[in-house]
Amino acid sequence: MAIMAVAALFHARFPLLLRRSIPLLSAPTSVIYNHRTLLSDGLSTRLCSILRYSSSDGVNGGSSGGDFGNDNDSVSVVSDVQSPNYLKFTDEELMKQCRLETFRVSGPGGQHRNKRDSAVRLKHLPTGIVAQAVEDRSQHKNRASALNRLRTLLAIKVRNKVDIEAYAPPPELLQILPPKSTIRTSSGSQIGPNNPKFVPGMQALLDVISASDGSIADSAKLLGLSTGGLSRLILSHDGLRMAVNSMRAAKGIKPLK
Amino acid sequence: MIRIFPSLRLTSLLSAAKPLCSSSPAKKPPQYTSLTESKSSRPTKSLSITPKTPLYLRTPSHATSLSEVWKWHDWAKDLASSVEESSKNSEDTLDSVILHRELKWLIEDSIVDDPLVILHRSEIADNGEKNVKLRASLEELYDLWRQRIEKRRPFQYVVGCEHWRDLVLCVEEGVLIPRPETELIVDMVEELVTRDEWFKKDIWADLGTGSGAIAIGIAKVLGSRGRVIATDLSPVAIAVAGHNVQRYSLEGMIEVREGSWFEPLKDLEGKLVGLVSNPPYIPSDDIPGLQAEVGRHEPKLALDGGIDGTDSLFHLCHGASRMLQPGGFFVFETNGEKQSKMIVDYMMTSDLKDCFSDLKIVSDFAGINRFVTGFRL
Repeated sequence: MAIMAVAALFHARFPLLLRRSIPLLSAPTSVIYNHRTLLSDGLSTRLCSILRYSSSDGVNGGSSGGDFGNDNDSVSVVSDVQSPNYLKFTDEELMKQCRLETFRVSGPGGQHRNKRDSAVRLKHLPTGIVAQAVEDRSQHKNRASALNRLRTLLAIKVRNKVDIEAYAPPPELLQILPPKSTIRTSSGSQIGPNNPKFVPGMQALLDVISASDGSIADSAKLLGLSTGGLSRLILSHDGLRMAVNSMRAAKGIKPLK
Repeated sequence: MIRIFPSLRLTSLLSAAKPLCSSSPAKKPPQYTSLTESKSSRPTKSLSITPKTPLYLRTPSHATSLSEVWKWHDWAKDLASSVEESSKNSEDTLDSVILHRELKWLIEDSIVDDPLVILHRSEIADNGEKNVKLRASLEELYDLWRQRIEKRRPFQYVVGCEHWRDLVLCVEEGVLIPRPETELIVDMVEELVTRDEWFKKDIWADLGTGSGAIAIGIAKVLGSRGRVIATDLSPVAIAVAGHNVQRYSLEGMIEVREGSWFEPLKDLEGKLVGLVSNPPYIPSDDIPGLQAEVGRHEPKLALDGGIDGTDSLFHLCHGASRMLQPGGFFVFETNGEKQSKMIVDYMMTSDLKDCFSDLKIVSDFAGINRFVTGFRL
């Protein structure tokens, strides 16, 4: 499970945790949508490593890959037709749905210690999704980074049902589409993968691809794009690419490269 | 041994506190004391101390070839990796993972051009002939990193700043480095003043302000009407706090006064609407065993709280009863667990027992009962 992957990561970082962390970490209360298996755990662990190490932390980034891969058997799909669109919540509202946890060496803390171990871990209680940040210089910033990562993870893991027959793409999706798309109504410039506004669009895009059973050609038609155009969009964001490929793998379709 | 603590959410803790009715007859209308007047009558003794400029604000006047910088980086990485397992005492060893992270921050603070030319060397076609501009000479960078590892000089003193909340505060020897736990004091104040505007209308005080961290954090959450007085006994702290206040252009809101605890606040008895402090609270017997970065380098004045570590805290409790106006709020940081309970017990049983309401112990993110909060009756 994703949470175990996170635990594995912390074992690498704080080796002493191994002794006690497992019983202390509770299983995520994910809502599992049984009809489709969208994400294998292999994906979520790889995603975690991308999301965790998006900064250029050469030392840690190098070793992260080896910390995962032992728990490929579980599923961490979170999906619920009735669930609210969490991405529409403000940071403050989203924060209220989370439990904030920090990791720190035992002992008195406070004035006794000088250690920049201001890691922050956010557990989004409605979905059980966990996001964390450790590389920033203040706890405040780590909290903001963790929240951004949570948004990306929510976009990737939470699927909303889409009615393909009467599909009308939401504005957040339209703005991440390339200008060539025939369904783009405004001529505003395309929002790229580094813009925070890309995330809600990515979620809507994944909903369409999921409803099209992973078919890029079918999804591209709905979005007024060529298959190549949609592929390029998918490949522009690592998390998006991996989520799509995982969906395709579950349907026995070969991955996009 | 390492523990994981689920942290209690602050919101739930504080919202359980006393409902604050702004119509309470006990509250007097805000009285503004002329801050400028008291300032001019109290000449600052610390003008002679000039705070050091943190590395990241220095002029990038040192052009150095990339290959030389890479050589330094290799050396620094090797030194950071070599510290593991040098001692059995897990509370007081250098952690190479953290050192590597600090090295990255040192590079961010000292190199002007994209730090990636150092961190992502393999992706750069350049063979190292290019020059980069540094904010310190390469010799100084060698020296600084050696101080960090061999002398256990705190990273924050090495680079001259600490990132705290959304602030970057100048720090140097003689001034306590603000801790992550203390960020919570500002969060508590923010929650309080957001819930009840009454707390924005009068003067707050941060006693033993050190770098000025809490005072600056509070001034920012109070908004334009906020007024904070920051005091400290140490002339170095006064100079550094004043400098930080200036860097955030908060001179109009924060006044820094030199002196012991309430001594510089005689003109404000019964007038404060809020009182915060992170006083020295470590029991004297614990001082020799402190982590090297703390014990060898940070000011004892800011750490040693006497036999129980409570000397300053008890003094603050009495001062709070005198200085706060009815309804006024206080929060003190403590050594945690036993000590926070001692403070609450003291406030409930001594001659202070009828002075405060809603005394509370609030835990930090590690689950340690770190803070004592309450309201003046």
